[in-house]
Amino acid sequence: MNADGTVYARGLRKSFGDRVVLDSIDLEVACGEIVCIIGPSGSGKSTLLRCIDGLEEIDRGVLRVNGEDLGFRETSTSYQALKRKEVAAQRTRIGMVFQSFNLFPNMTAQENVMSGPVLVKRAPKAESRRRADALLTSVGLTGHGDHYPWQLSGGQQQRVAIARSLAMDPKVMLFDEPTSALDPERVGEVLAVMKDLAHRGMTMLIATHEMGFAREVADTVIFMDGGLVVEQGKPADVLGNPQEPRTCKFLQSVL
Amino acid sequence: MISTTDPVRTGHDNQKPGASDATSKPRVHRRGALEYVAWVCCVLVAIGVARTLLTNENYQWDVVAQYLTAETVLRGLVMTVVLTILCMTFGALLGLFVAVLRVSALRPVRILAGAYITFFRGTPVLVQLIFWFNIAALYPNLAIGIPFTDVSQDIDVNRLISASTAAVIGLSLNQAAYQAEIFRGGFASVDKGQIEAADSLGMSRGTKLRRIIVPQSMPTIVPATGNQFIGMFKETSLVSVLGVAELLQSVQLIYARTYQTIPLLIVACVWYLVMTLLLSYPQSLIEKKFSRTRARVSNQPALAPSPTELMGDAK
Repeated sequence: MNADGTVYARGLRKSFGDRVVLDSIDLEVACGEIVCIIGPSGSGKSTLLRCIDGLEEIDRGVLRVNGEDLGFRETSTSYQALKRKEVAAQRTRIGMVFQSFNLFPNMTAQENVMSGPVLVKRAPKAESRRRADALLTSVGLTGHGDHYPWQLSGGQQQRVAIARSLAMDPKVMLFDEPTSALDPERVGEVLAVMKDLAHRGMTMLIATHEMGFAREVADTVIFMDGGLVVEQGKPADVLGNPQEPRTCKFLQSVL
Repeated sequence: MISTTDPVRTGHDNQKPGASDATSKPRVHRRGALEYVAWVCCVLVAIGVARTLLTNENYQWDVVAQYLTAETVLRGLVMTVVLTILCMTFGALLGLFVAVLRVSALRPVRILAGAYITFFRGTPVLVQLIFWFNIAALYPNLAIGIPFTDVSQDIDVNRLISASTAAVIGLSLNQAAYQAEIFRGGFASVDKGQIEAADSLGMSRGTKLRRIIVPQSMPTIVPATGNQFIGMFKETSLVSVLGVAELLQSVQLIYARTYQTIPLLIVACVWYLVMTLLLSYPQSLIEKKFSRTRARVSNQPALAPSPTELMGDAK
């Protein structure tokens, strides 16, 4: 069974010290599904995405990305941590886009996009360069390859960051509030790239405050609060006809 | 009628006829009395120093001039420069190695590197130098060989460790400890998001270190290393106690013979000062260059505040 592009979580729990930030999270994302995670800040949306990318280790529960237990191997009695190399290999199949872009400032846009294939997959440089240029074109940044991150606007940097993730041919793309650090007039260009990606069948999990985008693009909207999934369903249901009082309250405050 | 006067004229202008237009008056900052007092003190001190330098005959400026470019002194200067370069090179390489161990994923390795740093920073470098010079008392013979075979070579440590090797070993090992802390500080200055982005791409630890962490920590590391270089130049004077013929030892050899202690120490000071000034020019260029890259890298406002701005309102 090919489980590429799927995310599966059951009873997922994560705490920092005594503070439980994610509790009994159940999640099932099919290949090509677009999931928007909404909720107030501190509700655990970012932490959930960071767990799915393996940046945070979960305390308990099941977490499978692309059909593989992330970072661990299940035995009959326990989860055994994988070797660093094996974890790194799993991560190459998951793309992550950060709120603060996190482009490498010592590299040009093109080198940033090439960094994954060349430094991790040891792909030939010439081919990676062509691929990088094609990816930059696909995010609307033709001719910006030689620019360093500091020469680009926030929206442009975020689009380079998306291209950098895509260069690894991930099966799942995670977006951690990708437009929250942008000037309002730059939000649209990043959302357009993400929309395009969604139409091409990429599995995407997006933590966002852009309700319009969630309504238009998402297959599923998840509302989180206090580390719990409070409500999930079709965008029209969750956003248009919320059942939980906490969801209603949140939506009233943001719309 | 709203106003009968020119709107840019203030009430103050109207009281005094002939006052200039308020929009074109210069803005003046008066110097406080304290600044004048400070200037007077500064000039008095300068005059005092100059007077004693010129009138006190014990300075023996003719002797200073005579020995400033004497062959022994110049040879000592070359030795000092060579020692500085050798010790900085070895110190920086070993320091980088220790710094990498210091951030290792393996705890015992981290502990070892930490112990190294603690020991070499926690004991005086002068004591370390004398220790290395006398290491033969501790290990008289060094056997280099292939374990479990008969192939081996005994080395007399007393002959191996000359004064200069002890000096290079001592200063390099000590420098490595400080340099390791500089590297570690540099590594720590790299934004956490950068490491997460690298992790997210699946980069190995080695690649992450070489391609992401080291290049980005250079703005912190290079200026600090430049300072260490200047410091090391002066620190080499310590090895005179081992009898290495560097600058200080060279002048000591001369005044032991001629008893012209003060003028010869001045000769040494002049050379130390000249070399330090020569080194601080490239150092300031390096600092400026890296403060610019840093500003660009972090998207912060272009320049750091100048020292006077940090001291308070200086107008």
